[in-house]
Amino acid sequence: MAKGVLVDLTKCIGCGSCTVACKLWNDMKFQDNEPTMGPVEIAKLSANNWTVVQYYEIAKDDGKVWRFAKKQCLHCQDPACASACFAKALQKTEAGPVIYYPHLCVGCRYCMIACPFNIPKYEWDKTFPLVSKCQMCSTKVEKGEAPACVSVCPAGVFQYGEREELLKNAKSIIAQNSSYVQEVYGEKQAGGTSWLYISDVPFEQLGFRTDIGTIPLSTYSHNFLKYTPVVAVSWGIILTGLYHYTKRRNTIAKEDKNVKL
Amino acid sequence: MENRSAKPQSLSRRGFLKVLGGAGLAGVAATITGCSTDQAGGKGWMPQQYQVASSWPVQVRGRVPIDPANPSITRDDKKCILCGQCIEACERVQTVMGYYELPIKDDIVCVNCGQCTLWCPTGAITEVDHTERVFKALADPNLHVVVQTAPATRVALGEEFGMPAGSVVEGKQVAALKALGFDAVFDTNFTADLTIMEEGSELVARVTGELKKPLPQFTSCSPGWVKFCEYYYPDLLEHMSSAKSPQQMMGAIVKSYYAKQKGIDPQKIFSVSIMPCTAKKYECQRPEMNSAGKMIGKPEIMDVDAVITTRELANMIKQKGIDFTQLSDEQYDSMLGEGTGAAVIFGTTGGVMEAAVRSAYFLITKQNPPDALLSLTPVRGLNGVKEASLEIPGVGPVKVAVCSGLSNARKILDQVRADLKAGNPPSYHFIEFMSCPGGCIGGGGQPRTSLPPSDSVRQARLDSLYTMDAKMYKKRLSHENQEVLDIYKNFFEHPMSHLAEELLHTVYTDRGKHLTAKNKA
Ligand code: SF4
Ligand code: SF4
Ligand code: SF4
Ligand code: SF4
Repeated sequence: MAKGVLVDLTKCIGCGSCTVACKLWNDMKFQDNEPTMGPVEIAKLSANNWTVVQYYEIAKDDGKVWRFAKKQCLHCQDPACASACFAKALQKTEAGPVIYYPHLCVGCRYCMIACPFNIPKYEWDKTFPLVSKCQMCSTKVEKGEAPACVSVCPAGVFQYGEREELLKNAKSIIAQNSSYVQEVYGEKQAGGTSWLYISDVPFEQLGFRTDIGTIPLSTYSHNFLKYTPVVAVSWGIILTGLYHYTKRRNTIAKEDKNVKL
Repeated sequence: MENRSAKPQSLSRRGFLKVLGGAGLAGVAATITGCSTDQAGGKGWMPQQYQVASSWPVQVRGRVPIDPANPSITRDDKKCILCGQCIEACERVQTVMGYYELPIKDDIVCVNCGQCTLWCPTGAITEVDHTERVFKALADPNLHVVVQTAPATRVALGEEFGMPAGSVVEGKQVAALKALGFDAVFDTNFTADLTIMEEGSELVARVTGELKKPLPQFTSCSPGWVKFCEYYYPDLLEHMSSAKSPQQMMGAIVKSYYAKQKGIDPQKIFSVSIMPCTAKKYECQRPEMNSAGKMIGKPEIMDVDAVITTRELANMIKQKGIDFTQLSDEQYDSMLGEGTGAAVIFGTTGGVMEAAVRSAYFLITKQNPPDALLSLTPVRGLNGVKEASLEIPGVGPVKVAVCSGLSNARKILDQVRADLKAGNPPSYHFIEFMSCPGGCIGGGGQPRTSLPPSDSVRQARLDSLYTMDAKMYKKRLSHENQEVLDIYKNFFEHPMSHLAEELLHTVYTDRGKHLTAKNKA
């Protein structure tokens, strides 16, 4: 049975424990110029930030309220990123996580284009850049433990368990309390995700894409990619060449960007 | 949110510890050679700390939220290990975090007490640094930089230089400040005595019914406590004494009275205070703390420009290479430098009460209190809640309570609320509140001499303050402070005069609308 996480956004106090837990468990660097908490303009997912907590000020009941939204890969039921990856570097596991195997990755970055939530990031700052995203702590999940971020939240934002159970819980919570938006984000988006969200302010105001259909995006990418096995080998060679070229180009592009910052 | 992180190329902290601990060498080798076939991420918590036999990291408990705009405290994410000690301080000792309903409204609730900085084992949470500001002011020849020192720093600063807990370093501290280049070194004890005159007069006016404000009267010296009351007990704000804290009184006087006496343009004065407290950093920037500026039509001038904690002062002294332990004692500067024993015990729980009682006795009876009142043992010591009843001729029994640590404040405040609700006469006339356990000696800006803070260190500092009161200061009564008498003669005329109201008193803000308080106490 697939695991999932239910996120109750009304309970988040913005402490950022989850973002630090992610760094600690996954051994990732803290970068000055890439804060993991703050308004959406400054706290962004990146190759170093697999999860961020974004601050929003939202008009509600004739006043302003603050809300915090933790973002990370949603671990789709039927992930577009994995479908787009002919090298099988991204794989959906039985337990729920969509995980990434660096040694299989050719660096084509199709997954970045395919993901409807704009999650996978590229390690622009590495000599041999790879794609980078939340793994839902699959090594923990396999042992029956919750992901690192989930296990540290002091405010009870997360519930971890069977996705189907969580969905039921979520529905009963929002049915019993009319202050919640009567929708579970992730139930149907892109065919459903392992991470489910409930909130008392509209999801689009918290930076969640609400224009995503309910059909798994992999359905499209499967069609598009159905000839890839045939060309995979030659593509592999070409891409490896392109890889270094693009890397260089992107480094230069990034330097340009840095000047502007 | 700022991450003061290492240079991008540096080895991550966990990676470093891993190599150091020799753990996961195979993994490191694999990473270096790039031949690992593992998926990305997920190699575990830090070794030693988290790789325990159990698969559940019990030591990982999360942390308190800190607003990036918090004027008092800040956190370096790189150092945080999610041990949850800050929650221990904030939720259990101070009853701040967790005492409001979720969702939050529009505030990350914090009373700025800084207790979390004392508990954080890695030093991830620290005070917001004001030392740069002060060094800059000191280097500016156009500025007249004055400094005041709180009662409690003089029995703690020495600990930063290897001296035993509670060492009295009053004279050395003055010498160090002069060596750092301050133009005048004043004693917050002076305004502590002044506070007693104002707050004591207010108490007498409430007791006699001359002032139409309810009893009990609450002391208002501890800005963390004040904000706590504003958040959780705004219905009781009428009980709060309108007297400003000694720090803010000094700030207001320096840029008015002192400036006038010395013929210095208040705009050229930079006013610094050395405090045991992180909440003072928040207090000095409360919008209403600009009385001196308002008086001269420049409301943008704040009464206090920078607040330096005891720890920060130690850093400044170390940075300048001053050998603190070898300094010989120096004296505070006159005009705002005299203090009494009553003032110095402001630094500990029960001290404000004892000082106030000494002078209230005088204000009511026009006679100095009997010797027994000079050692009010029931309100001394580290107990969280203390009570006493004293006979004041002409008034009868005056009932007082003293509490320190905000979880203890709740007990007393709930009692006051219950009395009011039942229509009973108040259980107390006067209540002293201090935000930090033990009072300012245990303040959030004090040296981290023991982790978590321990009562033995607090007791040593507390003992020293009472020794100073009993043995080292010539005067023990606030109303005998000659410089205080002078300022009334030359400037304010009498306590609670119009000018005193303008410069020495303040108003409070109802913060109840920023949270939905839970009643857990
Ligand atoms: S959110 Fe994006 S990256 Fe994550 S599983 Fe879905 S498609 Fe893949
Ligand atoms: S740990 Fe919990 S409360 Fe803290 S930011 Fe993350 S989700 Fe919010
Ligand atoms: S006490 Fe310090 S290290 Fe521990 S969780 Fe809090 S901030 Fe992090
Ligand atoms: S300063 Fe005090 S109130 Fe604020 S987070 Fe720290 S312990 Fe809590």
